[in-house]
Amino acid sequence: MSETPDPSPNVTPAFKAENEVFAPKSSTIISPNQFAFVRLPSEGMKIVELKPGGIINLGKFGAFAVDGVLGYPFGQTFEILDDNQVTPIESITYEADISEDVELSEGGAEAAGPELTKDELTKLFTNSSENNQNIINIGSSIQKLSSEEIDSLKKSGASSDFGQKIIEQIIAGHAGFDKKTIFSQQKYLKRKQQKFLRRFTMEYLGSSQLLKYYIEKDSQRVLDMSEETLGLLLNYANVRQGGRYLLVDETGGVVLYAMMERMKGQGTIVVAHDNEHPNHIALRYSNYQPSMVEDMVKPINWLQFMEPENERIDWVTATEDELNDMKFAKRQQYERRSKRAQEVNSVIDQVTTGNFDAVIVVSTLNLPSLVPHLIGTVGGSRPIVLYHQYKESLLDTQHSLSNDKRVLAPSIFETRVRPHQTIPGRMHPVMSMRGFGGYILWATRVFPKEGGVTAVGRGVSKKKKDEEAKVEEKDVVMEEAKDDKA
Amino acid sequence: MQSRRCADPHLVRIDAKRWQGPLFYPFRCSYIAWNRDIMSFYKYKDIIEEGDFVLAFIGRGNLKHITVTPGSVLNTRYGSFEHERMIGMKFGDQMSGARGVGFIHLLHPSPELWTISLPHRTQIVYTPDSSYIMQRLGVTTGTRVIEAGTGSGSFSHSFARTVGSEGVLFSYEFHEPRFLEAKKEFQEHGLLDVNTLITHRDVCNGGFEIESIPERFSSDCKSVNADVVFLDLPSPWTAIPHLQKVIAKRSRVGICCFSPCIEQVEKTVKALQENGWSSIEMVEVAGKRWEARKEMVKDISDVVKRLKDIQSRKSQGIENRRHAKVVGEKREISEVNDEDSGSEPKKFQNLGKGFNPFGKGLRVKEGDDQWTWTNVTKIEADIKSHTSYLTFAYMNPNVRIAEFPKQTTTNESS
Ligand SMILES: C[S@@+](CC[C@H](N)C(=O)[O-])C[C@H]1O[C@@H](n2cnc3c(N)ncnc32)[C@H](O)[C@@H]1O
Repeated sequence: MSETPDPSPNVTPAFKAENEVFAPKSSTIISPNQFAFVRLPSEGMKIVELKPGGIINLGKFGAFAVDGVLGYPFGQTFEILDDNQVTPIESITYEADISEDVELSEGGAEAAGPELTKDELTKLFTNSSENNQNIINIGSSIQKLSSEEIDSLKKSGASSDFGQKIIEQIIAGHAGFDKKTIFSQQKYLKRKQQKFLRRFTMEYLGSSQLLKYYIEKDSQRVLDMSEETLGLLLNYANVRQGGRYLLVDETGGVVLYAMMERMKGQGTIVVAHDNEHPNHIALRYSNYQPSMVEDMVKPINWLQFMEPENERIDWVTATEDELNDMKFAKRQQYERRSKRAQEVNSVIDQVTTGNFDAVIVVSTLNLPSLVPHLIGTVGGSRPIVLYHQYKESLLDTQHSLSNDKRVLAPSIFETRVRPHQTIPGRMHPVMSMRGFGGYILWATRVFPKEGGVTAVGRGVSKKKKDEEAKVEEKDVVMEEAKDDKA
Repeated sequence: MQSRRCADPHLVRIDAKRWQGPLFYPFRCSYIAWNRDIMSFYKYKDIIEEGDFVLAFIGRGNLKHITVTPGSVLNTRYGSFEHERMIGMKFGDQMSGARGVGFIHLLHPSPELWTISLPHRTQIVYTPDSSYIMQRLGVTTGTRVIEAGTGSGSFSHSFARTVGSEGVLFSYEFHEPRFLEAKKEFQEHGLLDVNTLITHRDVCNGGFEIESIPERFSSDCKSVNADVVFLDLPSPWTAIPHLQKVIAKRSRVGICCFSPCIEQVEKTVKALQENGWSSIEMVEVAGKRWEARKEMVKDISDVVKRLKDIQSRKSQGIENRRHAKVVGEKREISEVNDEDSGSEPKKFQNLGKGFNPFGKGLRVKEGDDQWTWTNVTKIEADIKSHTSYLTFAYMNPNVRIAEFPKQTTTNESS
């Protein structure tokens, strides 16, 4: 590192620490009483709750005291020491940053250079930003290490750097490690580190992290949606602070969570669902105040949505006298019912008023039969964004919409991120990745002109042209303009 | 080539002044009174008013942006559309052309629609890339973003929308005409009034610091204090060392460098490592559009049936001829000739009679009810097979920045 942050930071007392539980949760500082996302060297992940005084167990990677991580910024990596204590470190794994001069020596493993001392080797693993060019020279003084020896080391190793020691010994014990190419050495090291390093990164539980967690656990629960598809969905739907959206979300609330994150407490999301209560299981990890969720999220079931006038509750407000006459239990029941009637009627009003800033559907319901009921609630020129795990479902939907003049230019989009191995001189796409991600249909809500319009025809056979123009207009897609290679 | 220096803040100020003067501001002549309160990229409105920014959807990949100005006319090959008539119409309305000929749709701008309709001054970042970058770096309401260079402002609009009025977009462009055009555009689109600050600067030489940040864009520490950095310029590695001074010190900062060549990525990765960035990862985004099409279902049994039909009609034809000879009926000369010059199935189908299950020889419109179809997707004809490599990294302060008093009361809750 060229510029290390000031080692003696100006530690400030935390904001509003007195009433922690009710204070707004932080998205930048690891703060008590909120959920956080833990990344492990194995690329595994975990969602944890940061209870002050608590201990969090990471299985084979060890356990740590919550108090030790509080106050650091999210994104910080820690190494687990003895007694569940932690120390901040720079990176979760050794990063392959072989420098160019080594790269140039094609001989790879055979390249000459100074021997690495044990200290240097240890350092190599402690500090990722050390220059690791000498790794190829790891000793010829080979000591074989049996798996029993590793086990015994592991057992005895309560010390902070025991993971590193194991790796170090494994390298030393790996006959012919120095004969491997740089690349395979790096791969080998990485694998070993993933197994033995007692490190973790504490990240903010944003929507991307939450989605990753579910993808890892059971991607079907989020209908196979990838991070890039979620990003595309949010942008095509033009989700922003203060918006009013109609949402169908069968991911257990992950999409809702992502929208709330973008809206930061301002705006309305009417959520249509097919049960008595919506399933927003993902929100239990959210760091939003329940009152804020209540303000923003308005559930409506499909019956209420489809038959609003039948489902509206006729509520007769009790008079002052009537209220006074009520027994306590009766009065409570009255208040509950009154609140519920207001909620139901107000969300029904939201839907009948319509003019939503977007409709977003992430569902397994049959879209060709569902979507026509939603279009009318969308405001003019606002986006209609449909997600589906299967392209075929969107295909059928697009065909079924092709005669609906309220929908302009529906198109199906796919986005896939391809990760690369990021070692200078050895960059290439990774060899395998999961094939999933889903598809997006994006269209714009429009108002067809009453009585229809006449398309323009030119040239001799005007009538024929008219037909063509109509076809063309109907099939228009929002095609991205060509790059004028600047 | 790109050594133009404008590191001197004084110089920047001169540039800003020049921008005001008509002499150096050729766009002035085409100046139209745009609606001063325009908020197109921050909230929707329903009714079109004079001075509004409207995207006229004309057809396939053909959106025209206009500022509604009475007296002006939008001329397209689908008709002419007087601005005056747009006033009072709804966003989303279909509008017919003068004398009822042709039509367009009047759309409300959004960053995504702007990206597919903007005037290209440079290559631009498209929605599959920009949406992924924002999602991955956690850009939300309130995020403070650095973007260099501004280019055609495609990504700028998207950033500005998402960070909203609580966030700030610091955009830098060193090419003066492009800077001026972008600044004018951002002004007209309402970006500058809400959350965007565009600076004329060579960031590779002059860095990112801004002398006097307007009060409303200022952070606690009166500096740029960026949470997220996006570099889309030819040599990001020369800009990276300048970032230290302008990024947030008390929270993690994310960066994405957008470069088309792998050699650029190599240099960028090294610069990131040398400057203390970690978790470096490079990816590519492949965005595709699929077209919904229909393919005719051609059943083999129909093929067989048709062949039989042809055969039977053929033999029938021969029968008829024999019959004709016997009875001595008068026949069309052409018909006789046709049959004489080898009776191939082709002729039968050209007669337009007979069993013709797939509409051979006819102009069949895709999806025509008379035939059977199956739904298929077809990939768009030209796909963007490579936009750029996206190199991501993070900068961690690696220090404790807040102290939480030990709480004895909450322990029992776990
Ligand atoms: C490819 S364009 C950016 C496109 C932009 N991201 C968009 O979506 O429209 C790159 C821009 O960076 C500008 N640029 C290149 N080097 C620069 C520098 N050192 N400082 C500031 N701007 C620079 C160029 O003038 C050009 O306009």
